[in-house]
Amino acid sequence: MEEKIKIGFYALTSCYGCQLQLAMMDELLQLISNAEIVCWYMLDGKSLEDEPVDIAFIEGSVSTEEEVELVKKIRENAKIVVAVGSCAVQGGVQSWEQDKNLEDLWKTVYGDGKVKFQPKMAEPVSKYIKVDYNIYGCPPEKRDFLYALGTFLVGSWPEDIDYPVCLECRLNGNPCVLLERGEPCLGPITRAGCDARCPAYGIACIGCRGAIDYDVAWFDSLARVFREKGLTREEILERMRIFNAHNPKLEEMVEKIFGGESQ
Amino acid sequence: MRYVKLPRENTHIFLERLKEWGKLYAPVKISEKFYDFREVEDVGKVEFHYNRTIMPPKKFFFKPREKLFEFDLSKQEYRETIRGVEPFVLFGVHACDIFGLKILDTVYLDEFPDKYYKVRREKGIIIGISCMPDEYCFCNLRETDFADDGFDLFFHELPDGWLVRVGSPKGHRIVDKSIKLFEEVTTEDICAFREFEKKRSEAFSYHEDWGDLRYLLELEMEHPMWEEESEKCLACGICNTTCPTCRCYEVQDIVNLDGRTGFRERRWDSCQFRSHGLVAGGHNFRPTKKDRFMNRYLCKNSYNEKLGLSFCVGCGRCTYFCPAGIRFVRNLRTILGLEERSCPSKIVEEIPKKGFAYAENIRGEDV
Repeated sequence: MEEKIKIGFYALTSCYGCQLQLAMMDELLQLISNAEIVCWYMLDGKSLEDEPVDIAFIEGSVSTEEEVELVKKIRENAKIVVAVGSCAVQGGVQSWEQDKNLEDLWKTVYGDGKVKFQPKMAEPVSKYIKVDYNIYGCPPEKRDFLYALGTFLVGSWPEDIDYPVCLECRLNGNPCVLLERGEPCLGPITRAGCDARCPAYGIACIGCRGAIDYDVAWFDSLARVFREKGLTREEILERMRIFNAHNPKLEEMVEKIFGGESQ
Repeated sequence: MRYVKLPRENTHIFLERLKEWGKLYAPVKISEKFYDFREVEDVGKVEFHYNRTIMPPKKFFFKPREKLFEFDLSKQEYRETIRGVEPFVLFGVHACDIFGLKILDTVYLDEFPDKYYKVRREKGIIIGISCMPDEYCFCNLRETDFADDGFDLFFHELPDGWLVRVGSPKGHRIVDKSIKLFEEVTTEDICAFREFEKKRSEAFSYHEDWGDLRYLLELEMEHPMWEEESEKCLACGICNTTCPTCRCYEVQDIVNLDGRTGFRERRWDSCQFRSHGLVAGGHNFRPTKKDRFMNRYLCKNSYNEKLGLSFCVGCGRCTYFCPAGIRFVRNLRTILGLEERSCPSKIVEEIPKKGFAYAENIRGEDV
């Protein structure tokens, strides 16, 4: 590789768990000879935020006016923008209550406290700028990060994940918590890649990697199954929204099953 | 064929002896209701009367996830990573699953041999076991309910032990090595075996002819069943991944962060997934959930010329493990006209016939 690839890692409103997860990878050492880290505050305090990079990784949801400006600047500076983690990709759990108004949410969290920024409702990065690739999860998987970065390094384009967690439950031979115990597992609509970590421990998937794109997340079919198992419309919507509050199809597809029943 | 009897009291001793032939895998209970083939330490845990394992035995030969080789871009070379496969014993395989492996053989051995599959197939010892069908079983309709070959030994349950059919030279050696555990088959045993087989064949839910099924499926592409049932489908792929004969896989190259070395991996795929029919340029051969749903029905019911059977062996997994409660057999019987409201199918005129069977542009040369 003649020229070093320039990488930036930027954080919006989040727990910083995504970058921590990635910063702790031993494999990063392999990267040093191929890449120059222009901006990654967790690794280097002398990071430069407003510099051109080849690949910009962004974690966190856009939750302040200042962050709207920041993501636009990152887009201008970067050849490839990668949204990292459920906050950046889907708006995160902080989008769960998006039906409520900002002032009430603000008061619940901060009371009368004063802050130096202008808050907004949490939103995914793609709402403001074009995102070229997504790395999913809360936090993301090391494997996905390695795969994406490694593929970029050889000048190719990584594949997106368009199949559900159920595949990985089967690859690992887990029992099925949805079928056997009637638990509201979101595995069938959620992107794989986590190796079905939660179901492997007998815990129903809560969908942290977000609903599959390409119109293949069948909220309606799963709502039908949940309904047969005794869940109400509200319980179903509540659960599916945890990590999918901004999904434009969710509500409509669940409503299809409940056929406009009164609330 | 050689027949011997293993008295019940010797069963566990024999299982223990089997470990001398390789790692022993057998059906065990993995959760409240489900079974799976797992490595067995304590032979007391082996289940002789399990209904079906959640994962079919194909997992031992065609690995769910497998590294194929490592590569180094700077040297333009690759290195195979398959390690020495040790012999192993798979005890307690039902007849349908033995047929499942025979079907995989026709694809992975007879066409272009898949070396990863082949090496494991050569090392695997298969010991079959008889079973009583539950309401999900329909192997009788698939003619896969009794295995003639494809096993080293086959255990048929008797009131006081097992009538063992010896199906291979290795089977002979296994029996001979523990010959003191075995007895000769008596007249009573033969009667008991006949009785068992009679009871078994009567226990199936359906006794009917499915001979024209594959043609009816092609002719009934516009049947309302497809729409109704594919609506329910979660497209989770469990029907494929639990199927003993589904054999599609997806391949991915994973490059290390040195930007030079990496490996190629394959994993089981499902035709219910969007990317299964996706090709370069973004075209998708099966763009809708309904298309993908139909594909499995047509694929499973197509004709395996080598064996003269369908690709479905009637194990019942795709129904038993379907989280959406879709019933494969009922849907097939709808098409066969054996369920209610089948004939004529509701839609006849309004929607243009557009399935494979009606395609005008599929013709031979000069036709």
